[in-house]
Amino acid sequence: MGSSDTVQGRDGLCFFGKVSATISHDVKNVLAIINEEGGLLQDLSLMAGQGMELDPERLVKLAEKIQNQVKRGDTIIKNMNKFAHSVDVAECEVDFYEMTSLMIALFTRMASAKCVTVILKEGERVTGKCDPFSAEMLIARCLEVSMDSAGKNHEISVEVFTKNSERVISVHGLRLEVAENDLDAIKALSNNAGASVSVAPQESLLEIIF
Amino acid sequence: MAEKVLLVDDEKEFVEGLAERMELRGMNVDTCTNPEKALDMVNGDSYDAIILDLQMPGVDGIEVLKHIKKSNPDMQVILLSGHATVEKGIEAMKLGAMDFVEKPADINVLTEKIKKAQARKMILVEKKAEDKMKDIIGKKGW
Repeated sequence: MGSSDTVQGRDGLCFFGKVSATISHDVKNVLAIINEEGGLLQDLSLMAGQGMELDPERLVKLAEKIQNQVKRGDTIIKNMNKFAHSVDVAECEVDFYEMTSLMIALFTRMASAKCVTVILKEGERVTGKCDPFSAEMLIARCLEVSMDSAGKNHEISVEVFTKNSERVISVHGLRLEVAENDLDAIKALSNNAGASVSVAPQESLLEIIF
Repeated sequence: MAEKVLLVDDEKEFVEGLAERMELRGMNVDTCTNPEKALDMVNGDSYDAIILDLQMPGVDGIEVLKHIKKSNPDMQVILLSGHATVEKGIEAMKLGAMDFVEKPADINVLTEKIKKAQARKMILVEKKAEDKMKDIIGKKGW
């Protein structure tokens, strides 16, 4: 492995680590809520055992809350599994709409931390061949850069479509100039992913073209 | 005396569940899911302890801790985190956090820490009152 490959490998590992850390945080939050709702059920049961009247409706609501958190946790784990399998093959047919949707879901916490709303516009399957992991790294970095450019309490909207036989992921809502080092990083990632990226903050637009 | 606690976390359901369990244990609990609003609440009321999430949207819990300790140096802050790193824990303690609890939290452990926070705060308040009294006596020359 050459030094360039080593750098790419390290960047890839860092990206994998960043996503894994976000997922672990999200799962911990789900567990924390289940812990409190379950604990509350236990408290109420103990009090009922001591003669306090227990409202069945209260129990139904608590059970619903726990079930909702289990669903939330299940979605997080499913996304984690999809992401983990993206390193399985170096190239395959992918649905760019689904991939973009996955990256937005995995970066919800980051968007929330930056106080940016990310909207994925309704779309259809947009398929094509690529290295899934490299493509995900590129999409994630572009989302991050777009969020920073949009700024706190703003919104970015993402659209995935086909134009002249090219697969396009466009992000609207950029406001501020993108830093030179971010542009360099995006360029390197787009080379790895076999894509090209155009950034035009004056048009509030970033486009990834596969 | 019931412990007066402010619980700050952006996860609404977590805050509601934990607050209810703390109230069942005799505590007087205020909740807040907005860190900026929490700072106003800290300045506007007297709490024995603040349970503060380390990672909330838009604001780092460490920054909130700094603000709280700046305006209320005696305030007892217990930090909560989904993934506590040793570095973050050390940083928080250096900044004056009383303790650090990892999510999911054990209610009995948390209750113990809140009781300790209340005791610590009472000692600080008594010490301040004593110092003030000494100061007054010294100035008046009685």
